[in-house]
Amino acid sequence: MTSPLPFDSELAAVWPRLRRFAYALARDAADADDLAQTTAEKAFKSFDQFHAGTRFDSWIFRICRTVWIDTIRSRSRRGAHEAPPEAAESLGHDPTSATEAAIDLGKAMAAMQRLPEEQREVVALILIDGFGYRETAEILDQPIGTVSSRLVRGRQALLAMLGEG
Amino acid sequence: MNEEELFYAWLDGELEGKEAEQVAARVAADPALQAKSEQHRRVEAQIRGTFDPILQEPAPPPQFSSVNVLDFQAKRSEREARRASFGLPQWAAMAATLAIGIVAGQFVGNRSGAPIESRDGRLVAAASLDRALDAQLASAEGNGRVRVGLTFRDRNGGICRSFTDDGMSGLACREGQDWRVEGLFAAPLGQQGDYRMAAGEDPRLAALVDERISGEPFDAAAEQAARDADWR
Repeated sequence: MTSPLPFDSELAAVWPRLRRFAYALARDAADADDLAQTTAEKAFKSFDQFHAGTRFDSWIFRICRTVWIDTIRSRSRRGAHEAPPEAAESLGHDPTSATEAAIDLGKAMAAMQRLPEEQREVVALILIDGFGYRETAEILDQPIGTVSSRLVRGRQALLAMLGEG
Repeated sequence: MNEEELFYAWLDGELEGKEAEQVAARVAADPALQAKSEQHRRVEAQIRGTFDPILQEPAPPPQFSSVNVLDFQAKRSEREARRASFGLPQWAAMAATLAIGIVAGQFVGNRSGAPIESRDGRLVAAASLDRALDAQLASAEGNGRVRVGLTFRDRNGGICRSFTDDGMSGLACREGQDWRVEGLFAAPLGQQGDYRMAAGEDPRLAALVDERISGEPFDAAAEQAARDADWR
């Protein structure tokens, strides 16, 4: 009886990818589901700012990323749950990961969590979702060169953590 | 991009033409680079492979069209209703006006002929109001008491129409085959006998239209086209 409105159709089309992106950014499944949900609500409320004819996926991924950054900031203001700042430096020294060829989601999420935020989002957008460098630069509002160099560092760190050495 | 970045950009298929050829030649001539590209491809495919099953999970997206649209709007009204504590349902609070008690009684009901019905917890146009919203153009002189004012698309892309009907003015938006009443305002006391105010003139209705409208109201041609398309 209720026909879907454009927002709902747009959201439905991108929802599985949005969830996957949330899982790539967030620490655990509960965080990821919250993130996807909050993103959908924010996007709905600001749907009038979406320009028809532009990419809805880029638009909502950008919102998702902003929501996530806000979440992290408010957590670190509260002093809870913050990632240890030395995480980036300790990459590549996990003795358990380098030997196993197969990885599961938990391990992949843990590895992603050890990346600095700005590398993780680039890896999530390009390597996991398959956005191009240019779209990624637009979503993140960063120069393409910045995206490219963050991607290099992020994927090298992942290889060190998850690769066969 | 430096040489390393070029290598990875090539790996991701981001390079074209001459640049791509140069990196490909460099990799072809260098076994270490070949190994490196293999390794990255393998590990990155593995990472994708661990995240991809999320795409198949039965986790339906949240829906906003059917419930939340009015819920956002109703929040304020709910607060007002609680403050007033008349024990009236939400829709009555939406038409926050002194006259509502009197007017709503004759307007909203499930008796036959009532222009607004409560159905599944929603207020929808019924009887003469439903017929007018379905069929009547703003330009129609008509003999009926319903006048249709503005027709427009709201920010979700649905079609809404403002109306006046015997002492009330309001806004209804298309939802499936129904016109869901999104706002209902009684005319000021003393003006109800001959309420011929153009829809949109009531400042509360104008504010509601302002809040909902995306772009400009339909002109006569767009309105007619929308009717021909069953208000989709």
